[in-house]
Amino acid sequence: MKFGLFYEISIPRPWTPEKERTVYNNCLEQVKLADQLGFEHVWAVEHHFLEEYSHCSAPELFLTACAVLTKNIKVGHGIVVCVPEFNHPIKIAEKTATLDILSGGRLHVGTGRSATWTELGGFRANPDTTKKSWDEFVRCLPKMWMQETFAYQGEFWSMPERTILPKPYQKPHPPMWVAVTSPGTEIDAADRGLGSLGLSFAGFDEQEKKIKEYRRRIQHCEPVGAFVNEQVATTNFLFCHEDEKTGVEMGKKLGNTFNYLATQLISTREVFSSPSYQSLGLLPALRRAATGPDASEQQTEGMAYGDPARIIRAIKKWESLGVDCVNFILNANEVVPQDQVMASLRLFAKEVMPHFTRKPETAAAAAE
Amino acid sequence: MPLYGTLDITQSPARLPTLPNLDTEAWALPKAEMMQLLVEVPRSSTGGLLPKAMHPALPSYVILAVTKYSDSPVGPFNLAVLRLGSRAGAHPRGFLLGAVASTDAAALELRTRWGIPVEAGEVKYIRRHDRVMGTVKKDGKTILDCALVDPQPVAGSDVQYINWVTAANAPLDGTTQPMLIQVDPKYTFYKAERGKPQVNAFDPAAWNAPTIQLSDPIVGTCSTVDTDLPRIRFVMDPIKPVFQGTRRIREARADE
Repeated sequence: MKFGLFYEISIPRPWTPEKERTVYNNCLEQVKLADQLGFEHVWAVEHHFLEEYSHCSAPELFLTACAVLTKNIKVGHGIVVCVPEFNHPIKIAEKTATLDILSGGRLHVGTGRSATWTELGGFRANPDTTKKSWDEFVRCLPKMWMQETFAYQGEFWSMPERTILPKPYQKPHPPMWVAVTSPGTEIDAADRGLGSLGLSFAGFDEQEKKIKEYRRRIQHCEPVGAFVNEQVATTNFLFCHEDEKTGVEMGKKLGNTFNYLATQLISTREVFSSPSYQSLGLLPALRRAATGPDASEQQTEGMAYGDPARIIRAIKKWESLGVDCVNFILNANEVVPQDQVMASLRLFAKEVMPHFTRKPETAAAAAE
Repeated sequence: MPLYGTLDITQSPARLPTLPNLDTEAWALPKAEMMQLLVEVPRSSTGGLLPKAMHPALPSYVILAVTKYSDSPVGPFNLAVLRLGSRAGAHPRGFLLGAVASTDAAALELRTRWGIPVEAGEVKYIRRHDRVMGTVKKDGKTILDCALVDPQPVAGSDVQYINWVTAANAPLDGTTQPMLIQVDPKYTFYKAERGKPQVNAFDPAAWNAPTIQLSDPIVGTCSTVDTDLPRIRFVMDPIKPVFQGTRRIREARADE
């Protein structure tokens, strides 16, 4: 089992230059410590216009700062938006290759297509076509990384023959993932040989089904890249404290804050009727959790907050379902003071991590 | 934490509809034809329109809806409403700003049963080969002229209609007081289409929303549905955050 950190970079109002800078610096301080403690990954989202929920609109810059400050921790796009109005594929290929170089070959590339009207409408993107553009992008990226020259004529973009530079440090290329929130996306991940970057807080039963199906289908995939990245990651909250009651209380505060902020987002489906966004994704579960009385005991049990023993039990359960990596959200709207976040990380590393063994390296790392 | 509205409805209760009770029976509304146009509005134009208990949707948007109810307990009528996209706690809601019904009987009943801020006027719902049109007149003046252009079929499962919130005076615990009322119709789709919103005329002041300015259109849908106006299940304190001030006054819809 591997452990990572997952950054939305949530910043409470009022926004002042000092506040935004402080939160960014808090995140970097956490990442630096996490690297020293043996965390495997740091992921950063790409979100735009999402007030308080996420001020992480230039993840490549944040991840570069993470890479420069650390030695071993892998840096990952969780995710880069593969919609032409957001990001040109050439720029994605160039920036990711550059980040891979600057990090010494530590980049993972999660991909996705955005789910909120706030963002899609803000860029005047067409929700109906984002699934197709994502598919086109993820098939092009590995070729852009690997081929000496590249030309392309597609539905959403095209280019004449050019040499895309630089090339990634990792060979054949960084591992690729796709964000899995809506039902069925784990199938898309499996069919393309992509890692499943779960951004859902679904319960155990649902996750177990998804993971089983993913593992089954990926055995017969046609990978979009040069290798299959069969990995399952899930997202969780982390607050580790010596006292279980204190840990649970703070963890619930963190979770409730995050959930409440997330429910304020305007999902595409809320306003734009599209077959491409048939599901509300994780929102129904978050709404149930955010409204308090409907929170199920199972949901609380699966969350990585409390004392080390409680957290070990929760993660053991995820491990038993076949999860390879748990990525932790450490804060939302800075409700957890920075010193307590740092203490939580240290205690987790000391008391929880040793209970979990590491799985063999990915094929890409093995190939190197 | 999220922003809150600034409207204190307790300061002007006389402007609100008054319900004799919260015990209205449900209305079944079969084979209704509904057109809804969603349009973004500048955030600054929504100031003072949303109750303090609720969060504004960001970006701000309004829902212009014109519905033809061919069957109801008060006979056939058409209804046009303006709702403001918002949140009641964690839940998306459309806050009723203004409404016009095509019959006096419908206006009276909607006002006194669910607190819809509705007046009687002329409401037309017209289907043509390439568009669905809605027009609303009050005192002979056009206050809304809109259309869904080039409707294309979509699945009913692709369409999500969010629940409503009205502001009204109603008796609770022996006192008639201003409150927010959740209205949560259900929908069974026979047909659904999606198209471009077009608004040719809109007088926001006539909809109790003088500051609203329409900007970027989002999308329009029109559908044929079995729907309802259900019994009232939840009321909310208009000042306290909804997650603190919600009160269930009736159990689930299954008891109807």
